[in-house]
Order: sequence, then structure tokens, then C-alpha cells
Amino acid sequence: MSKVDEWIQYLKIKRRPIEKVVAKVVVYALLITISYVFLFPFFSMLSLSLMSPQDIINVEIDYIPRSIYFGNFRIALAVMDGFRALFNSIWFSAVLAVSQTIISALTGYAFARYQFRFKGILFALILVSFIVPVPIIFIPRFMMFIGVQSSTGIKMIGTVIPQMVMALFGQGVNSAILILIFYNFFRMIPGVLYEAAKIDGATPFKQFWEITVKMSLSTIVVVFLFSFVWNWNETYVTNQLIGDNMVLLPSQLGIFDTLFQNRAPAIPGQEGEARINEAYRMAATIISMIPLFIIYFVAQRQFVEGIEQTGITGE
Amino acid sequence: MAKREKQLSDRQMLKAIQRSNDQNLIAYSFLIPWLIGFAVFTVGPFFFTIYLSFQDVQLTGLGWEYTNIGMENFITAFFGNIDFVPAMISFITLEITYVPAIVIFSFILGILLNRNIKFRGGFRTIFFLPVIVLSGSVMDQLINNEATTLDDFSENIIFTMLNNYSPFFAEIMLSLFQNFTMVLWFTGIPIILFINGLQKINQSLFEAAKIDGATNWQILWKITIPIIRPTALVVAIFTIVQIGMYSINPVFTLIQQSMYNFQGGLGLSSAYALVYTMVVLLFVGIAFLVLGTKREKIEVKLTSIQKRNFEMIREKRLERKGVKQDG
Repeated sequence: MSKVDEWIQYLKIKRRPIEKVVAKVVVYALLITISYVFLFPFFSMLSLSLMSPQDIINVEIDYIPRSIYFGNFRIALAVMDGFRALFNSIWFSAVLAVSQTIISALTGYAFARYQFRFKGILFALILVSFIVPVPIIFIPRFMMFIGVQSSTGIKMIGTVIPQMVMALFGQGVNSAILILIFYNFFRMIPGVLYEAAKIDGATPFKQFWEITVKMSLSTIVVVFLFSFVWNWNETYVTNQLIGDNMVLLPSQLGIFDTLFQNRAPAIPGQEGEARINEAYRMAATIISMIPLFIIYFVAQRQFVEGIEQTGITGE
Repeated sequence: MAKREKQLSDRQMLKAIQRSNDQNLIAYSFLIPWLIGFAVFTVGPFFFTIYLSFQDVQLTGLGWEYTNIGMENFITAFFGNIDFVPAMISFITLEITYVPAIVIFSFILGILLNRNIKFRGGFRTIFFLPVIVLSGSVMDQLINNEATTLDDFSENIIFTMLNNYSPFFAEIMLSLFQNFTMVLWFTGIPIILFINGLQKINQSLFEAAKIDGATNWQILWKITIPIIRPTALVVAIFTIVQIGMYSINPVFTLIQQSMYNFQGGLGLSSAYALVYTMVVLLFVGIAFLVLGTKREKIEVKLTSIQKRNFEMIREKRLERKGVKQDG
């Protein structure tokens, strides 16, 4: 056997491991490239927000600023009325999230625990309610709240009330998904527990409270966080029902340019150079995202598992 | 004895009925808030918007005033307003280009992440991040300040060639590539759904296929994709709905602007919303057509004679049982 033949023989035996290594390298390369594309906007946002006004107009600087400059954040905070907006956004989203969590739990429980008439149809309706686009149902909702406001004199538009009412009746942001998360978790609680409680004379609501709620605290947290984040990020309905009556972070970011023009010249030490640039905008964007970043890095596992728990894979 | 048995079963039946009535009552008392909300805030408004789109709505001192104007709003939408048709077209292009791209990419990423690799959790964390931190206004800021644009592909030789061939197609491809980040940002939840679906596939199927000498490529097309199709349908519908929610969708802005005009604007914006909804539902329908699986139903139709035969057989069996028990 010649040397070449031996070599070929060797390759034939070793072929599979080599193939496997190549496949692994390709997979990692793909994943890392895609991760880069995912994160690229965040990197460029961060680098832009740390540039001083001189760095921004400097053609030589692409991504890495000469020196780290935090002035943009100071100005963005002042322009957006940052701390008040942050405080408002937090309680606003929290109120809506609590309402949504309660109603989703009740609805999910009814579907998971009981057999009742029209169950199938109602369950399908929950899924359908997810598909219906917001604009087609929003106009009458809006008119409804204006009607209530003008007939009762209670201020509705510009407060949290309209959205809270809708959330409490299960029609908030992505309510269907929240209900599904609860439904799938509640289904896993063994029925024997309820039977035992029933024999001991527990009322249905007591069964719900003592068994279901107390056993699913982690799921409740997941649903609350999802709801919080979605309400925070929801701007379409919020903009129309709240408008500029309440200072909220995401909506302040939406009108950042106008705010900047009105307010920046009044910031001390800033009179001369009050010209808007990307750095200010990116700093503002980062400020509005910080709370969500914190939530995500504390509870990232729970978020992913929450979506897994919806169990919607098509069956 | 037969009589007693019957009585017992009657009582059991009554009990069962009572229990199910109780269940109905309890279940509905848990459901009632959602039911009311669904009726008042979703079903009602849905039909009311349809009604509004044929009306001229004015806010007067006495409240809302409606006058029937037939198709006027739709005529204004399509021929009077110069913004609506372009906005609709760009929304449709958005759906046509983004949805397939998102479904395909999330499927590929799902497969990659379903393998046994290191830092799986880390990658998943990165891919899910946009779901949490992106709001409409954040996305606007990032796009407007070109933080999402990876590179300028328009000078690329392939795009120049495409442009000579078909400018329209070239433009679509260009926007897809330049906003590739945007496509990826929508894959957060779909990836999780795909991974979940992939993990539910019975592993022995793959083993059996491998023993029969199937290549990985064949396994992908013959086993994985057919099984994952329902998941792909869910993902497609989810994406169709989600894309509309962000302000990259120009129709939303249009509806919003028109809504603030209380002198006749509400009817017009209802017409916009109705057309928009029809388009979204049309896309959902297309998704069902493309990705929906046909359930093969085996329908057994019994002729009346066959039915009689079955009944007779059953009766005979019961009789025999009765004889045995008596004996």
C-alpha cells in the first residue's frame, strides 16, 4: 500500500469527526455573526451617546469616541424631564400590569379547571382577539371614553383610567398571550388537590386562592413582568388616550426633537450650543430603555420560559 | 334487577347534569369580566367601526352626530387622500417581504439553537432581548439615526445588476438587506416557539430515518419541516399581527392623525381601519393557505341499513350480557 492510499484510508476513517468539527465551526460562526447583527444597533447607540459634540462632527471617528463624554445624558435627562417621566412610567405600567395579571389569572383558571358549555368557542375567541388589529376596535373605544367623560364629568382622557378599565376587563396589550401562559400552567396542577379541598368544604374562589394562586407565584411574576414591559412599550393607544397629559418616558422619547427645541436653550450652560444631534437622541433612547434592561437581565430566564409556557406550537 | 340498574343510572345522570351545571356556573363566574370586556371593548367596537365607516361623524354640542353617506369615506380614502394608497402599498410590501424572511430566519435560528452547543442560553438571551426593550419610539429613534443600518449595499454589484433587471424588486431586496437587523428583531418570540416545537418531535423518528440511510438534508425536508408546519403557521400569524403594531407601519400614523379630527375625521379613519383590517385578515388567510395542513378526515357514512345492523348487533350483545349476569 502506497503512502497516498494510506492517507486516503486515514481520511476515510477520520472523515466524520472532521465533518463534525467543520459543522460546529460553521454553526458558531453563524450564531456569532447573527448576534452581532442583533446587537449592532445597541453598540452604535452606546458609542454615539458617549460622543462629545466635537466627536460627532469629526469625520475620522466612526465608532470609538476620543474621550467618554457623559454630557449627552445630563442634557437628555433635563430635556425629557427624565426622573418624573421615569417615576410616572413605572407606576403607570405597574397599575396596568397588576390589572392585567389578575384578570388573566381568573380567565386562565376558568379554562384550565372547568368543563363548561361553549368552552371551545370561547377559547378560540381568545385567540381571535389576538389577531384583530387595534385600529379597528380603538376608534369606538376612544369615543366611548370621550362620551363617558362628557356625560359624567369624570376626567377620562389623559388619565390611566381608560386603559385600566380595559386591562381589568381583559382587553389590554397582548392579553391573549398572558391568558395562555396562565392556562398552560394551571393545567399542570393536579386535580386531586382541588377534589381534596372541595371535600374539606372550600368554596371555588377559596380553591382558586389557596391552591392555584399560592402554587403559581412564579408564573404570576412572569405574567406581571411581561405585562409591565408590554404596557411600557405600547405607544399607540397610550399616545392617544394620554397624549401630553402625563409625562411618560417612551412618549417623551417620541417627541424628543420638539422637546429639545423648546427646552434645551433654557438649560444652564447650554445656551450657546443647543443644536440637536444624534448623540442627544441616542442618550435619550438609552435612558428610556434602562429600566427594561434591568428587568431583562434580572429575569431573562423567566421571560423565555414564559413564552415556552404559552404552549402555542400549533397543535 | 334491570329496573334498579336503570334507576341508579338515572340518578347518576342527574348528579352528573347537576355537577356540570355547577361547573358551568362557577366557570362563568370566573369568566364574566373577560366576557363583558370582550363584548364591550372588542366585539361591539369591531362592528361599530364598520358602521362608522359609512357615516359622517361630527362632534356637536349634543354629542356625536351621524349621517349616512354611503361609500363616501372609502372614495375619499382611495381617491381623495393622497397618503392612504401609498401607505397601504408600503404596508403590504412590508408584510410580503418581512413575514417570510422572519419565518425562515427564526426557523433556521431555532434549528441552530436546538443543537447541543455551548452558550445556548447566552445566544437565546441575545435573540430575545429586542422583544423586551424595543418600543415604537425606541425603534423610531434607532432607524432615524441610522443605528440599524449595517452597511450601504446600494452600490453593491449584485444590487446594481438587480436594479437594471427590475428596479422594484431591487428596492425590496435592498430594504430587506439594509434593515436586516429589523427582520432579526422580530424573531425573538418566533425562535422560542420553533425551539419548543422542535423539541416536541419524537427523536426516534430521526433515528429510524438515519438507520434507513436518510441524509440530514432529507431528514430536514421529509421529517422536520412537515412536523413543524403548524408551528410555522402560528409564527407567521404572530408576525403578521406584530409587524403592524410598530410605527414602521405608516397606516397606523395615518389613522391616528385622522382620528383627532372630530369634524368628519372619525368616519374616514374608520374606513382606513376597516381596509387595513381586511388586508391583515387577508394575510392571515394566505398564511393558512400556505402553511395550514390539511387534516385528512376519514368520513364514514352509514346507510340506514348499516345503522340498523349495528343497532341489532349491539342489542344482541347486551342481551347476551344480561343472560350471563342473570345466570
